[in-house]
Amino acid sequence: MIPEIGRAASLVALVLALGGAVAATAGGRTGRSALVEAAQRAGVGVFVLISFCFALLTYAFLTFDFSVRYVASNTNLGTPFYYRITGVWGALEGSIILWAWMLALYTLIIVLRHRETTREFYPWVLAVMLSVLAFFLLVMTVAASPFERLAPVPADGRGLNPLLEDTGMITHPVALYLGFTGLTVPFAFAIAALVTGRVGDAWITMTRRWTIIAWYFLSLGLLIGGWWSYHVLGWGGYWAWDPVENAAFMPWLAATAFLHSVMIQERRRMLKLWNISLIILSFTLTLFGTFLTRSGIIASVHAFTQGAIGILFLSFLALVVLVALGLVALRWDALRAQGELDSVVSRESAFLLNNVLLIAATFTVFFGTVFPLLSEAVRGVKVSVGAPFFNQVNIPLFLSLIFLMGVGPLIAWRRASTDNLRRNFLWPVALGFLAALVAFGAGVRPTLAVLTFATTVFVSATIALDFGRATRARRRTGERLLPAMGGLLLRHNRRYGGFLVHFGVLVIAVGVTGSHAWSVQTETTLKRGEHAELAGYRVRFDGLSASEESNHAKVTGAFTVSNGRVLDVLRPAKKFYPQQQSPIAAVDYRLGLTEDIYLVLGDFARDGTEATIKLQVNRLVSWIWIGGVVITLGALLAILPEARRPA
Amino acid sequence: MNRNAKFIAGGIVILGALAYMIYAGVTQSAVYFVTPEELQAAPVTGKAYRLGGLVAPGSLTWEPRALDLRFSLTDGKATVPVRHKGTAPDLFGEGRGAVVEGSWTPEGYFKATLIMAKHSEEYKAPHDETGAGYKELIKTLKGEQ
Amino acid sequence: MRRAWRWLIPLSAIPVLALLAYGFRTNPRDIASPLVGRPAPAFALTAFDGTAVSLEAHRGRVVVVNFWASWCYPACYEEAPVLERAWRTYRDRGLTLIGVDIQDKREAAEKFIRDFGLTFPNAQDLTGKVSVDFGVYGVPETFFLDRRGQIRAKHVGALTDEIFRANVERLLAEPEGKPGPA
Repeated sequence: MIPEIGRAASLVALVLALGGAVAATAGGRTGRSALVEAAQRAGVGVFVLISFCFALLTYAFLTFDFSVRYVASNTNLGTPFYYRITGVWGALEGSIILWAWMLALYTLIIVLRHRETTREFYPWVLAVMLSVLAFFLLVMTVAASPFERLAPVPADGRGLNPLLEDTGMITHPVALYLGFTGLTVPFAFAIAALVTGRVGDAWITMTRRWTIIAWYFLSLGLLIGGWWSYHVLGWGGYWAWDPVENAAFMPWLAATAFLHSVMIQERRRMLKLWNISLIILSFTLTLFGTFLTRSGIIASVHAFTQGAIGILFLSFLALVVLVALGLVALRWDALRAQGELDSVVSRESAFLLNNVLLIAATFTVFFGTVFPLLSEAVRGVKVSVGAPFFNQVNIPLFLSLIFLMGVGPLIAWRRASTDNLRRNFLWPVALGFLAALVAFGAGVRPTLAVLTFATTVFVSATIALDFGRATRARRRTGERLLPAMGGLLLRHNRRYGGFLVHFGVLVIAVGVTGSHAWSVQTETTLKRGEHAELAGYRVRFDGLSASEESNHAKVTGAFTVSNGRVLDVLRPAKKFYPQQQSPIAAVDYRLGLTEDIYLVLGDFARDGTEATIKLQVNRLVSWIWIGGVVITLGALLAILPEARRPA
Repeated sequence: MNRNAKFIAGGIVILGALAYMIYAGVTQSAVYFVTPEELQAAPVTGKAYRLGGLVAPGSLTWEPRALDLRFSLTDGKATVPVRHKGTAPDLFGEGRGAVVEGSWTPEGYFKATLIMAKHSEEYKAPHDETGAGYKELIKTLKGEQ
Repeated sequence: MRRAWRWLIPLSAIPVLALLAYGFRTNPRDIASPLVGRPAPAFALTAFDGTAVSLEAHRGRVVVVNFWASWCYPACYEEAPVLERAWRTYRDRGLTLIGVDIQDKREAAEKFIRDFGLTFPNAQDLTGKVSVDFGVYGVPETFFLDRRGQIRAKHVGALTDEIFRANVERLLAEPEGKPGPA
């Protein structure tokens, strides 16, 4: 029953989306509001249908309906309740329906909220959103349907991939997809702007909040992915420059560039062409990302299976790129620059440099990711470049970007006078130098670490300086300290939200630097009672124990960790899922502000007398997660509705 | 015009620097994909390789004290002995596909610094339907308590 | 900028798209088997219906040996109809199809055979020796043997009609006694 109902519903949704897209386009061309309203209703209808499909699929999961192939592949009788819900998006077909649902949700929000405020753009925005929706629905009905029937019905399912039985894996795809799909909205507005010829600020102002929200979810998704990698995968790292990771990172880089460059267009009416190109690039990269993950053309430990779906995605990607760029070519004259850059030493210049660096990083990641393909096409030799390549090229770029974070917000528009430079940067630069000396004196030797700390201090000083001066100005009118600060934050929430986000980035940068420069690890085999030592910690192997969970068996090792006094007992384990090829390691760790102790159970003797462990002491990794929290607060502050001018 | 020239010059400098960094990065960290047959035909010491193949059944040995993992990778046409210091990743095992990264040693074996085991989604492993295998393991360990 | 040059913008995307399309040509997923090109290991088993099944007896015919299990979803469920169809098509054209059930409970295996209406010989590899000899790591795995008893191809994962047909037609076309390329 369920497979047939689901298939029918998705088919109807597809037809509605296509029809709606056509109606919206026709409505835009002819100006007939009846058509636009029909498209609107189609959009709402699609949302209802996809929600229904999603609920249906979840119901199938919860009731162990193994007549649905997707359910049989991703769950079994032992799967815990929680993972039966989250398992819905655990594999390819489910990920498509999740993506489609989010797109439909955003379309609904646009219908409900933007009808009045976006008059001229509205039909075209609808047309684009519904077209993209139609594509994903097409994939869902033709290539990757979650509602395929399995006959005869098996008695039990295969089970969820054990690596996905984790909270990180639950929130990671949701956050990431909210970000990816969120970028569709500014893109839709950009296309609307191109089609209507109104390529001024309007489309940017309307999508400002969308951009920040999409960017934020992308950031969150990436950070959660790093966290999941860190605490589940057992290699002690959070980022490997894997093609699938890169596929999510590239849109983030382009979106960050876009986020910043639109500020120049808002202020100075410049960079129209640049901004439109950036959002096209960002959206294209999200499509490219899903294409990469699902087509199998780049080998990756993450990738889903390949098949006809890859060709579908590539075709759509090609269509989007050619149409969007074609529109840009069409409107070329209107997009030509009106203003000119006055001086190299100006805020415009700093923002431009920011963009150049971010695009350079995007290109680098793209180049490194497709390099195996390129080398095979050109030289017939399959060559890949690994983490060293990405780190080597990107680290200088990122460091420069961090430096710019301190320069951009404070430097004057148009042309910065020497006086302006001195007032804003003398102290921060001095403090930066001081920090470098202090770091060096304290024994910090890696050049990169010294530079990072110096730059971090520099940027923090600029933020503090700006905030301090503004607070002082407010206090001169008689306001007390805390209300002055609070008032500042609320009145200029965009600015200070941005500052807070920048600060979060600084915290992350420190965490990344620390973990790279000072993490240590060792691997050793211990007999019961023996201990391993690393970085002042002593880890003693106490023994193994076994237990049975609902859908797996577990062997857990007990290890006492001490550094003079007993700190903790860590219990890394190996989980044996009967339906899986091999055991999955469950890492145990002790997180700290400055260092994490990280323990993986590798091999063990069957009688429990011996265990091989991988022990790591990772430095400052927690700062990465803390930075994520700070970024969250900053983003929240930035999207607050604009405060009214006080009387 | 002067101002624009400055920007263009700046742009070229940045582009040039980027191109150089990418070039340096690629040449320094390029890793060549080879099959056992290709490697055996022309092994070069000191070059970074990524070797992919099947872990030959019966070739896997593990010495826990010395953390010495040894196995052979084969593609049906040639077999390459591989050594690795440390445990293998979870999905690694005999008769399964694996990709190792490392270099060829003068002593005649492949020194793997990284092992990546192939994860197959549709492929089902021979599984003890009654669960006797791992149940026995659990029993043995529980007996320890 | 002259009017026509602007159209270079969309056109510039084409090389990148072409590169990505090129990526479809390469298939990174094949795992080679060391047994291909070698004689198939002999075996003698008792089928579920009690008759004897041995590889030797079928020398001179093209033999397909398929390893499966009742707990292997969804792949074995997908290929069971494919196998039955292929059996009915090719059994009178010189093909022998043998199913080997590994690591399974007898009742579950018999139910599987009943549910799919399989009419070709199926036997249980109780000791596991046959699967070890064939280097079987997972299910389903299918081996295509030529008339001389050599393993000529191994397929991992669910079979489709096309794959089955392609392998079998090629081997059926070879006359007995003549070695062909692997």
